[in-house]
Amino acid sequence: MLVKDYMTRHPIMIPPSMAAAEAQKIMSENKVRHLPVVGDGKRPLGLVTRQSLRIPPAELGSLNVWEITRFLSELKVKDIMVPAKELSTIGPDATLEEAAQVMADNRYGCLPVVEENVVVGIITETDLLVQLADLLGGYIPGVRVTVRLPGKIGGYAQIINAISAKGWGMYATGSVRAPKREGYWDIVLKVRDVSKDDLLGVLNQLESCEIIDVREK
Amino acid sequence: MTELGTQKAPPVLQLDEVAVAYKIRGGEIEAVQDVSFDIYRGETQGIVGESGCGKSTVAWAVLNFLGANGYVKRGHIKFQGQELVGVAGEELRRLRGDQIAMVYQDPMQALNPSMRLGDQLTEVLTVHRGMDEKEATKRCIEMLDRVYMPDPANVMKRYPHQISGGQQQRVVIAMALLNNPALLIMDEPTTALDVTVEAAVLDLIAELRRDFDTAIMYISHNLGVVARVSTRVGVMYAGEMVERATVEQIYKYPSHPYTQGLIRCVPKLGADKAGSVLYPIRGRVPPPNNRPVGCIYGPRCDYVRERCREERPELRELPNGSWVRCHFAEEIDADEWTPSEDILPPSIQVGEHDAETILEVKDLKKYYEVAGSSFKDVVGLAEKRYVKAVENANFSMKRGKTLGVVGESGCGKSTLIKTLIGLEETTDGEATFLGFDITEDISKRDTELIQELQMVFQNPDSTMNPSYTVGQQIGRPMQRFKTVPKNQVRQEVIKLLTSMRLGANYYDRLPRQLSGGEKQRVGIARALASRPELVLCDEPVSALDVSVQAAILNLLLEVQHDFETTLIFIAHDLSVVRFFSDDVAVMYLGQIMEIGPADAIYAPPYHPYTEALLSAVPVPDPTVEQKHIRLEGSVPSAIDPPSGCRFHTRCPRRNLLPDGGKICEEEVPPWQYATDEHRILCHIPMETLRTFDPVVTTGN
Repeated sequence: MLVKDYMTRHPIMIPPSMAAAEAQKIMSENKVRHLPVVGDGKRPLGLVTRQSLRIPPAELGSLNVWEITRFLSELKVKDIMVPAKELSTIGPDATLEEAAQVMADNRYGCLPVVEENVVVGIITETDLLVQLADLLGGYIPGVRVTVRLPGKIGGYAQIINAISAKGWGMYATGSVRAPKREGYWDIVLKVRDVSKDDLLGVLNQLESCEIIDVREK
Repeated sequence: MTELGTQKAPPVLQLDEVAVAYKIRGGEIEAVQDVSFDIYRGETQGIVGESGCGKSTVAWAVLNFLGANGYVKRGHIKFQGQELVGVAGEELRRLRGDQIAMVYQDPMQALNPSMRLGDQLTEVLTVHRGMDEKEATKRCIEMLDRVYMPDPANVMKRYPHQISGGQQQRVVIAMALLNNPALLIMDEPTTALDVTVEAAVLDLIAELRRDFDTAIMYISHNLGVVARVSTRVGVMYAGEMVERATVEQIYKYPSHPYTQGLIRCVPKLGADKAGSVLYPIRGRVPPPNNRPVGCIYGPRCDYVRERCREERPELRELPNGSWVRCHFAEEIDADEWTPSEDILPPSIQVGEHDAETILEVKDLKKYYEVAGSSFKDVVGLAEKRYVKAVENANFSMKRGKTLGVVGESGCGKSTLIKTLIGLEETTDGEATFLGFDITEDISKRDTELIQELQMVFQNPDSTMNPSYTVGQQIGRPMQRFKTVPKNQVRQEVIKLLTSMRLGANYYDRLPRQLSGGEKQRVGIARALASRPELVLCDEPVSALDVSVQAAILNLLLEVQHDFETTLIFIAHDLSVVRFFSDDVAVMYLGQIMEIGPADAIYAPPYHPYTEALLSAVPVPDPTVEQKHIRLEGSVPSAIDPPSGCRFHTRCPRRNLLPDGGKICEEEVPPWQYATDEHRILCHIPMETLRTFDPVVTTGN
């Protein structure tokens, strides 16, 4: 799972000379929350987000209606954008988890994807959430089961073997460290074309395997 | 990949009720009226219609290339959410250079003939991105490799004329993709190319769309081509969008009569011969200043009613999801359509089997001497080298029959018929026509013989004297050959014009006052004027619109029937010749590879080359399954043809033979007879050839 496969290619991009009001209009009309700002040859210059469009009321407080209008009409994208030097970007060959870490650590909503100083795409929180949902089989109906295992080699394999021995297909798996249980792992499986009881019947026979949650969805 | 989520990304290009007008003396004309469509990321919108329907105008409007007198009169064009109408100067330049790219029909015109390809390609990166020369060169070579250009580093050093047409088009596509544009506009990018090259370019386009997520607007007059690359299709007629739907919808349930007509113009290459009968659309596209009041398609429509003449239909959505501009779309069933009498193709007479053989060709050869440039060549000491344009052609023709000759460009089809007619001298071999030897020099030919052999040329524009009227051009052979008394020439010409469905009023017109299809009709009339026995047609329909193609083909058949002429018909596309040829010959690099009755050619056993040609034909029906065979490389040079079987360098089937087809490199293959009349030049045993699956299967 690399960034280049899940990013949005050809995002809407704007020049720094554009009026800030126009950028706001493009964002609301196209329902996007981030606009990379680029120069000639799609060189990254900055990023406009909903945050950048929030002008502190203090700045406008002392102005009258006429002055506000003038202020807004003269406000350009380059005045409000997050400039490139303060911006985190990511390369198209980075992994999805790297992108997620950068975004989570810095509380960013998106990362422009830059290759050889050219903006080639953008990856957002939404893209990551969609992939998270897909990773756990959210878009495919089936039986979803969470199994807790001690962190020992071979535990995962016995589950997989038991399910494939029955000829059932596994459409998604995910494993995370079990919350509040040091040394244990939770494995989420999405199995299709099987009934809940049949699946439980197989899993219950396995050693040291605790079933945390089962549901059909 | 966001398609998994529920929210759909905004369209890359959005046209909303766009009208384009050109200012002319005394007013203006609206070339395009109220066209709307969206193109999303990674999607191809095909735009189909005959010439003069405003397809290219739409593309130019997007780029604001309309020229000094054209402008967008109404509507909005939005690219990535930003209005393009009225944008000019620096802003437009930035968008065009970085995010929108265009590929035109003729690659030779898009490339600068005086600059090396490498310089032209790197310019895109050095100017737009300020990349340094070395890095840019590296990137360009990678991109050329990406579009499957053989030996890309070497190609960078060449000039445009040193590579073939298909390769030129690849260079143009590579150039368009260098900046990774969000929108790619392609205006008939494959129309000038051979079928085999076309198939490869279309595959490439589909692949690039997937890999780069580019939105593509693909313009073509051929529905078959559009079917291969598009996800959605818009049909344009006389400046209006008359139907808009997904590819599957358009082919399964074409709703507008015009769409149905266009589908019937394209050869189907289905399982049976009946599918390749073509039905032209009668009439022609009205000029923009003379559009009818009601439905613009009304005058050409088979279903026209009173309401159509009075009220212009709106583009509306049908329950099945397509958008159509027709009052009666729900009532029209394309399956129940029967051709009206005036466009019905003439029934093809079976012809007596024992008709007289009028042409007999035996081991005919045509070599061209190549002038070398070394000292030895100049003083005549070096060994002479030849381009072997036609090698050992063998066939015979019976009166009233049609022979179709098919092959890629440069395979010697045209040379073959030029040699027969005497425009080229025969190098060796025999050819007898009506008992005369026609291998002699043409100056020694009898006038009578010349009169019996006539030719229809590919490009009607360049084969007609622009300063002679139609009447004079057609009358000339009659006077020269004295087939008609002088005082009756005019009458006779008018008679011919009428049988070409042109009418007496065309007599005094000049070629420039005719459309392409009309010019070709005059060309046919001129060929028939001397009442010839044998007419040689050199790709008479390749330069024409699909709808006109069908009309010309049907006309040729009709005159063949009426005048009992024999035809040799050249085409580069196997689908075109199918329904009217009695026999088909497939040529490759000067050699006939397979010859036989038309029915036998289109079903196994095939020559591997025939198989490849068939799999390259664009088939409009998405339900038809076609084998995917693409020939690699281009036709080798005829100066130094490959040893043994000439096709061995590109043959996809030679691995069927022991040692990876070693015998193909060493020995000239023998003729193998499938039946008495159907023979194949190949080493692969006939039993194996028979086991090939048919190329085209109708899947249900």
